[in-house]
Amino acid sequence: MRRKTWMTALTLLVLSSLMLAACSGQAEQTNEKTRTITHEAGKTKVPEKPKKVVALEFSFVDALDELGITPVGIAQENKTDVSGLLGKDISFTEVGTRQQPNLEVISSLQPDLIIGDFNRHKGIYKQLQEIAPTIILKSRNATYEENLDSFKTIAEAVGKTKQMDDRLALHEERLQAAKKKVDPKDDRKVMVGVFRADSLTAHGETSFDGELLEKIGIENAVTKTAEPTVTITLEQMVKWDPDVIFMAEADPKLLKEWKDNPLWNQITAVKNGEVYEVNRDLWTRYRGLDAAEQIVDEAIQLLKQK
Amino acid sequence: MQRKRLIFVLILLSCLAVYSSLFFGITQMNPVHLVQEWISGTTSKAGLVLTNLRLPRLLLGLLLGANLAVAGAIMQAVTRNPLASPQVFGVNAGASFLVVLSLLIFPSLGTANLLYFAFAGALLGGVLVFSFASIRGMTALKLALVGMAIHLLLTSLTKGLILFNDRITNVLYWLSGSLSDASWLELRIVLPWSLAGLILAASLAKSLAVFQLGQDVAVGLGQKVTRIRLLAGISVVLLAGVTVAVAGAIGFIGLMVPHITRRLVGEDYRIVLPVSAVIGGLLLTYADVLARFIAYPYESPVGIVTSLLGAPFFLLLARRQMKGGLR
Repeated sequence: MRRKTWMTALTLLVLSSLMLAACSGQAEQTNEKTRTITHEAGKTKVPEKPKKVVALEFSFVDALDELGITPVGIAQENKTDVSGLLGKDISFTEVGTRQQPNLEVISSLQPDLIIGDFNRHKGIYKQLQEIAPTIILKSRNATYEENLDSFKTIAEAVGKTKQMDDRLALHEERLQAAKKKVDPKDDRKVMVGVFRADSLTAHGETSFDGELLEKIGIENAVTKTAEPTVTITLEQMVKWDPDVIFMAEADPKLLKEWKDNPLWNQITAVKNGEVYEVNRDLWTRYRGLDAAEQIVDEAIQLLKQK
Repeated sequence: MQRKRLIFVLILLSCLAVYSSLFFGITQMNPVHLVQEWISGTTSKAGLVLTNLRLPRLLLGLLLGANLAVAGAIMQAVTRNPLASPQVFGVNAGASFLVVLSLLIFPSLGTANLLYFAFAGALLGGVLVFSFASIRGMTALKLALVGMAIHLLLTSLTKGLILFNDRITNVLYWLSGSLSDASWLELRIVLPWSLAGLILAASLAKSLAVFQLGQDVAVGLGQKVTRIRLLAGISVVLLAGVTVAVAGAIGFIGLMVPHITRRLVGEDYRIVLPVSAVIGGLLLTYADVLARFIAYPYESPVGIVTSLLGAPFFLLLARRQMKGGLR
């Protein structure tokens, strides 16, 4: 008897909460105007002027910032990630790491738009969609052009296409100016490599930074890769033989081992003393318009040294 | 199989393994050119690749394969359990866990010091599984279950560490087992420990043969059971730990090879151990050559290849066990 009462109560509770959820869902839809955004995981109805945006990749944070929007929630690994990315301190709520966003924190922010990364978050698209309208765009392990497309889609989603056009025009102008500084006769091929504890990740000609540098006339040594970034061995490094190495995050362990190997000195970049250490955050993690412009400037400056 | 024929086949397979491991890969090599070069005293890039990358890689593959196979053979003899191996015993997962943890706490430790953490981890995994599985008598089934549980637990802890630390994300590649970073330096670090483990194992060969008859018989024949178990444990920790420290968790070799060997040469551990070492080395070397071509021109972790070969073998073994009545 007692059990039965409990069961009835529980059923009622579940039913009423379901109804409440259904009602509130409807209310949201009728109250606001929406626009439909096509993205990597489908089509999503997004409120016309989203105010509380959660960004799960750094390049999305950068894009929103460029468009004059401060995200309420951002996924980051280190405390200094966002301030380093934007060059200023903003107030926001941390929503876990990019690899493992915290859905509870995200839903507690009651966002009206979530922007996730295709590579990292397509698996939790449905769960994110249950919290708020979600769009999935390409950033991680994506090309430069794909990152630009993501910027355009974000501008569309937040209804700031005018600002986007202006910013893209400025970006193009800056890249053209940079391209003029690159000597067309300079045929040095570069490799952007991230040294980790146990392997080297090379950013090839279709990676964000690889394609960006190609765009201003700096050729990449790593061509025809299956993925924008690839894990390579010392033997492959020798085979590709870059003239210049931009080395992001030199993890001492692997680098030391490679330097001890006589083959290391066979690489043209090493022979010519053209191995440059660059900031890993800027070169491989941020992937925004602002980051792109800084990378280009740094690359040109480093290449000028020889 | 006749002994002479077996020796002949092993020598043939060894030659083939040496040739393919040295000359197959992303750098094109012409053995004739290389010999000419060697005679004339010049060195080309291909020559340097051969002497500084391919040769240590071949030797490391042979050595580590032998390590894993001998560790597996010892474990199967001491526990009298056909499913025992460094992987099933949580030894690989334990070593991986402590190696990743130490990479996190001391980023610039260097391979030579990582070894000690790998040893400690191997010990941790092995002791955990052994103590849980031997409560009220160890059976094949219990060992497999406890081993898998501890393996999964330690692996998930390792993955957790990686997840929360963007800096070491790529350790995942190492975790699946790889010989692609082989160098003379690594070989020099590995060699003394491996030799110590292998010699210790060889000195136990005679006792292990008696052990296989069962603990009571072993005691009856005057074996110091506890001492042998202890020494066997040390040998396994050395062999498996050193392997994980440089090449990651390479699975299934320790499980497969002793079975293959016993089918070929019988149960005498004085023969089983050395033949296991040879077959283990050859198997890992072939797997490593295959790993270079799965996603050519990029390398795949060799652990993927051994798992690909080993998983069906494991199932087959389990099926035969089932038929024979799982204790």
